[in-house]
Amino acid sequence: MSIEGVFREGFVTTSLDAVINWTRTGSLWPVTFGLACCAVEMMHSGMSRYDLDRFGIIFRASPRQSDLMIVAGTLCNKMAPALRKVYDQMPEPRWVISMGSCANGGGYYHYSYSVVRGCDRIVPVDVYVPGCPPTAEALLYGIFQLQNKIKRTNTIAR
Amino acid sequence: MSAKLERLAQTLREILGDTLQSLVNDRGEVTIEVAAADYLRVAQTLRDHADLRFEQLIDVSGLDYAAYGNGAHEGRPKRFAAAAHLLSIKHNWRLRLRAFADDDAFPVLDSLVGVWPSANWYERETFDLYGIMFSGHPDLRRILTDYGFVGHPFRKDFPVSGHVEMRYDPEAGRVVYQPVTIEPRENTPRIVREENYGDVGHG
Amino acid sequence: MAEIRNYTINFGPQHPAAHGVLRLVLELDGEVVERADPHIGLLHRGTEKLAETRTWVQSVPYMDRLDYVSMMCNEHAYCMAIERLLGLEVPLRAQYIRVMFDEITRILNHLMGIGSHGLDIGAMTIILYTFREREDLMDVYEAVSGARMHAAYYRPGGVYRDLPERMPQYEVNRFKNEKTVRELNAARGGSLLDFLEDFTERFPGYCDEYETLLSDNRIWKQRTVGIGVVSPEEALERGFSGPMLRGSGIAWDLRKKQPYEVYDRVDFDVPVGKNGDCYDRYLCRMEEMRQSNRIIKQCIEWLRANPGPVITDNHKVAPPPREQMKANMEELIHHFKLFTEGIHVPAGEVYAAIEHPKGEFGVYAVSDGANKPYRLKLRAPGFAHLAAMDELSRGHMIADVVAIIGTMDIVFGEIDR
Repeated sequence: MSIEGVFREGFVTTSLDAVINWTRTGSLWPVTFGLACCAVEMMHSGMSRYDLDRFGIIFRASPRQSDLMIVAGTLCNKMAPALRKVYDQMPEPRWVISMGSCANGGGYYHYSYSVVRGCDRIVPVDVYVPGCPPTAEALLYGIFQLQNKIKRTNTIAR
Repeated sequence: MSAKLERLAQTLREILGDTLQSLVNDRGEVTIEVAAADYLRVAQTLRDHADLRFEQLIDVSGLDYAAYGNGAHEGRPKRFAAAAHLLSIKHNWRLRLRAFADDDAFPVLDSLVGVWPSANWYERETFDLYGIMFSGHPDLRRILTDYGFVGHPFRKDFPVSGHVEMRYDPEAGRVVYQPVTIEPRENTPRIVREENYGDVGHG
Repeated sequence: MAEIRNYTINFGPQHPAAHGVLRLVLELDGEVVERADPHIGLLHRGTEKLAETRTWVQSVPYMDRLDYVSMMCNEHAYCMAIERLLGLEVPLRAQYIRVMFDEITRILNHLMGIGSHGLDIGAMTIILYTFREREDLMDVYEAVSGARMHAAYYRPGGVYRDLPERMPQYEVNRFKNEKTVRELNAARGGSLLDFLEDFTERFPGYCDEYETLLSDNRIWKQRTVGIGVVSPEEALERGFSGPMLRGSGIAWDLRKKQPYEVYDRVDFDVPVGKNGDCYDRYLCRMEEMRQSNRIIKQCIEWLRANPGPVITDNHKVAPPPREQMKANMEELIHHFKLFTEGIHVPAGEVYAAIEHPKGEFGVYAVSDGANKPYRLKLRAPGFAHLAAMDELSRGHMIADVVAIIGTMDIVFGEIDR
């Protein structure tokens, strides 16, 4: 959060955009979209050791309550319509993190007849986290990158 | 272990007699092959006969011998087979039961669902992936592949990357199929070496 | 007058209690399930078909990604299938390492299974505790193979390398001061075996913790006792295995009945349930973890005392050591052949089954003498279990469906393959 000036004790002035972005980065609620192996690492990042809760990141089961989708795992043809539907149900503003090589571009299963070669063919992706699966730390880093990205967007001042 | 398998093989020969097309005892496993017409009856005997007692059907696997040994299979008339793996908890032995389907263009085998209910999904899977029909199956639908999938992906003439791929069409506002756009890639060619090439023991 | 009719609901594919991507079509009469029709294949990746296009060794990592909660056990079955086809003997030390890691994997799997089962039916705390121990064991995975999950550690003929002499350490940084780091590194001073031994000392205490959280918990019992009852006969004819079979009172464990590797040299008991309901299966899993802990202890003891090779010295199967390759022409050729062409497996077929944490995991491999499998069929325990979903959930309330999914310990990587 950028504090652009302190006038008097007890007062802070800043732009509305900075406040909005600060609130958004501080309470990213991801929808649990665990598809395959990466989901296990995603759970690990939410559990005891890495504890996403301390960043205000709380997994929500419903897309209607969330603003971030972490596509964790191989996206298959049969699953793709469901993924798009969940994405469409999320309210704006919404972001997508593609986690793991399978979601990034098919990865190890790129040449399979039943795999979507990258979840960006179905939904727009903001951050790609590489790895097979990415460690929980890598996912954390990806989330930080997304937070930085959110901080750069302007909602009011265009 | 091998004495026990010998005993199993002997028992099978005695009980099944002429219905056995072949019995192989290889690498600690017994494989029997029967004609498609005898498949169901043999399965019933295998489960119920007191000296065999195969209570559990572990697995049914489809097989497509079209490209076996890079064409070494040419002489063999039939292409599709189903291999069922059986386990007897009472006698603690295993058996592989295989039957070739008669017609390559429309392979049909009898369903084992009446003998072992666990065959249900395994046969659905075999139907889905190989297109082997199981007559008498109560609910023969596709199970693994996409709704509306065309073809049977595990057949040897089905390309690995398939015929279609998926993307989101912003105009239509939904996910659509389009013809596959990637080239197949083979890093390591498939090679069948002469007999004993990679055999252990003279290395 | 209101018209009374049955209701069909669609459960999943995106549902937090579906353990992945299960889609269930449930026909309900009020809140009672009349018919459950699981739709699977939403994670069908065509592993078996892809394996036909890869060399034997290149497919080892595919096995990790099947049941992604018990990675090394899948590799084990696959490597055993190749070894049987080749008629290959695995060095004793490698067998002990495999048994040890199989049991580590079993603990990992059961921790996940029990934790997420608890989470699904309303016990939030347990998963936080079980994941604490999972992190420790994943550190073991990481130390031995470099990857937290998909290890690709087992290879045909043994394991990739010997156990490391030291564990990775925490370092002081902005957030962790020296005192915290010292506490965190307390068990990491020695080798991997020391770390594991320390873990096995602690683990029974952790198990007691889980038991206090669940075993006598009134809500837990109300949700699991008498739910999803499987009679022994039904379990057999449905092709159940593992805790699903033992929970029904059939003492069938491949580790005892058809011992592979060195399971006949280690001492352990097989827990058996009585009623065949979700609660009994939970108790079986708890006890299995304690028994696994026992096996790990015995393996550590043996591994400490007996150094030796961990992979076969047949260099047509396993690559030669680096120095030999640099010094010796023949080894160089072996190395080149192995990494360009791969292992040639003699023609034949084999079914190798192991006692996977979820049940019997089998690999049916058909080879026609090529450097790639001709056909690879993976027998997943969860597949047979989920197939019985209809029978198990019929007549139960809709909330019990979640308990039944949890007790089956469903993982979609292996079911859909």
